[in-house]
Amino acid sequence: MDLDHDTLVAFSKSWGLFYLIALSIAVLIYTFLPSNRKRFDDAKKNILDKDDTPWRR
Amino acid sequence: MPELFHRKLERTAIGFTLAIIAAASVGGIVEIAPLFTIDETVEEAPDLRLYTPLELAGRNIYVREGCYACHSQMIRTLRDEVERYGPYSLAVESKYDHPMLWGSKRTGPDLARVGGKYSDFWHVAHLTNPRDVVPESNMPAYRFLARATLDTSDLGVHLEAQRAVGVPYTDEMVENASRDAFGQATPDTEPASGVVERYGEATQVSAFDGVTTRVTEMDALVAYLQVLGRLTGAAFENTAASEETPDPQQ
Amino acid sequence: MIAQLTTSERRQSAIILLVLGMAGLAMAALGRSDPLGVHGLLVILFSVGLSYFVLSSFYEPEPETDRLGLYYDDPIKVGIVLSMAWAVFGMFIGVWVAAQLAWPDLAFDAAWSSFGRLRPAHTTGVIFGFGGNALIATSFHVVQRTSRARLAGQVSPWFVLLGFNLFCVLAVTGYFMGLTQSKEYAEPEWYADLWLVIVWITYFVLYLRTLARRKEPHIYVANWYYMAFIVVVAILHIVNNVAVPVSLGHAKSYSVWAGVQDAMVQWWYGHNAVAFFLTAGFLAMLYYYLPIRAGRPIFSYRLSILSFWGITFFYMWAGSHHLHYTALPHWVQNLGMTFSVMLLVPSWASAGNALLTLNGAWHKVRDDATLRFITVAVLFYGLSTFEGSFLAIRPVNSLSHYTDWTVGHVHAGALGWVALITFGSFYTLVPTLWKRERMYSAGLVEVHFWLALAGTLVYVFAMWNSGIIQGLMWRTYTDDGTLAYSFIDSLLAMYPYYIARAFGGLLFLLGAIVACYNIWMTVRHVPLSASRRADIPITGLPAGAATPAE
Repeated sequence: MDLDHDTLVAFSKSWGLFYLIALSIAVLIYTFLPSNRKRFDDAKKNILDKDDTPWRR
Repeated sequence: MPELFHRKLERTAIGFTLAIIAAASVGGIVEIAPLFTIDETVEEAPDLRLYTPLELAGRNIYVREGCYACHSQMIRTLRDEVERYGPYSLAVESKYDHPMLWGSKRTGPDLARVGGKYSDFWHVAHLTNPRDVVPESNMPAYRFLARATLDTSDLGVHLEAQRAVGVPYTDEMVENASRDAFGQATPDTEPASGVVERYGEATQVSAFDGVTTRVTEMDALVAYLQVLGRLTGAAFENTAASEETPDPQQ
Repeated sequence: MIAQLTTSERRQSAIILLVLGMAGLAMAALGRSDPLGVHGLLVILFSVGLSYFVLSSFYEPEPETDRLGLYYDDPIKVGIVLSMAWAVFGMFIGVWVAAQLAWPDLAFDAAWSSFGRLRPAHTTGVIFGFGGNALIATSFHVVQRTSRARLAGQVSPWFVLLGFNLFCVLAVTGYFMGLTQSKEYAEPEWYADLWLVIVWITYFVLYLRTLARRKEPHIYVANWYYMAFIVVVAILHIVNNVAVPVSLGHAKSYSVWAGVQDAMVQWWYGHNAVAFFLTAGFLAMLYYYLPIRAGRPIFSYRLSILSFWGITFFYMWAGSHHLHYTALPHWVQNLGMTFSVMLLVPSWASAGNALLTLNGAWHKVRDDATLRFITVAVLFYGLSTFEGSFLAIRPVNSLSHYTDWTVGHVHAGALGWVALITFGSFYTLVPTLWKRERMYSAGLVEVHFWLALAGTLVYVFAMWNSGIIQGLMWRTYTDDGTLAYSFIDSLLAMYPYYIARAFGGLLFLLGAIVACYNIWMTVRHVPLSASRRADIPITGLPAGAATPAE
């Protein structure tokens, strides 16, 4: 491996940015996908239910 | 597709863990990886010498006592720092520092270039009771250092461990470590000339705490303090001008 | 507690303790002429002490109830007690070191009590002892309640909790003896680090297996934060602590990292310890105990997801802002600065989300000191994340770095955010866990709140003042173009603030002691709650709990 410093720095700078953008898009899609709405609403409210015992199969 | 993917990730929770790792590790990798090729861009310092066994022992005492919690060893590139402490610190200067002691807080002043600024005698007096020398000081007193005999017997093993992490100590240095530690604190003896021979003419041989009959932790710590900033002259040559301190009023 | 374990689990515990004792013996033998030997003896003592506890009730009757029908709360209770004990210890040391800065003779001329050795004992005591135990305890609670599942192990929760505390004890006693790697917030030496890796992997596996038992398809967001905390802390800990011991008989080791790489690795660790230990884990507390205490669901669940990924991704880039204007390459400094500023977005999203949750419940904040603890914690979270982004900007950092401003910033986060959210969570959790009606004294919670808030404010304002004065004095020039103040001039100006900060810390410590008393009295003297007692199932589940709203 004879990567020199400049190559590594350039790689870091460019791919770090692409990675950031890709990750943001993925997270945004996940968050706002309409089919996820119900799951999120359930999760949000369920923790306030009476929860004094574990559920069992 | 991403939705399905994520749902699956969540079910297993292992996938979710991987996602956390993927998101979290990039930043570190991007910033840290290129630093391992930094040697290519860092200034050269052919005159860089290694810590002698006594100085290394002193460094370990510096670490042990937590001196780094109040004293930095990193002069920033700002004008006021350069004027107060000396030329700003270069990466190459801490090349062999395992670990680095750049510090993060200055309750006391920076020590990156304290070597040679004060006499051995001053350091001993100051460490014994800082308020004898600097009445306003809030530094702890380290009287016990002068009482504690330095354990030099295992310094060879220390040098070997240093070599294992990349510091180029030679076999001869490892072999003579204990002898060299003794020699550096007892001028005009045969062991003393051995240290100079192995570590270079610039090595400071001195009876640091004024007592030559035994080597104490005080000797070691003062030897270390006196070498700070003097392992190489690189910082005094060919460095760019310091930066003007940012001034919000301008 | 042992009564909760079956005979085979008791045997398992005894074997683990035996192995630990053997390890201690090996350490004591190999390191007989080194502080390592002392730690060996300490490990043996730890193992023998716990073994006595296990063996003395080894032949007690086995638990009869169907354990899977119950939550596993014993380790949580012990975790809370340990956390509070560490809080008092760590904060006491904190007040002591703070006082040493004003009156240096308070070290009493001993080696173990000098500033440099006490300081890591303070940081480790409060961050890992107090904070770590609080995180472990609450994570065990939250993961069980939100997954509606019992912890996936009977011995492993104890292993995690007590093993972690052994690590803390090794760390702190090590500092007193002068054992340190000198890496801030990662001071413990190699053997303690290795031990923590084992403990942490057990923690991770336990957490994953418990999550896998859940009923809901979706993992509640608090668990995401706990997971991020566990996973990322493992990565950080392992990478930062790679070191070569001088020999197997030496406690001392040399880091494999050196110079500029070491600086970057160290502050990548240091900053993300703040992120994933002191932020992610405590945000998990926020996302569970705030809705529970306020009786309202979180304002926006989506926002909590966005901020989770934002924090997880951005934080890792920010570490280099600790190294502005140093020998670290310029572009890394700039990258760190940029991401630090961007970090404000997910941070304030979390804080805003929490505050909006309280909309419509502000009267509760007024009346209920526990909820007020959580609310003020959120405010301090918002404040210190803003301040953090601000201090990460290079020109600002040129003034603030190396000064008390940084210390003030850290404590705005540590006292104002971390400690207050923990106390708020504990006051919510303690009555629930011990099945009491309420805390012993609401008045004492109120007293604690005001002591804590006053202490934090005094501390933070003192450090802001001293930090800015210090930074300005260092860079002030006379008309002739020479530096106006010597270093000692700037130190002299600090003394009043050092006294003030010790006083602020003292108030905070007193608050923690009040909390201990209140928790103790709750457990001892408050009657069992009728409603909560009735909820303990004897056989099977109550009808209502079996079918949670989907």
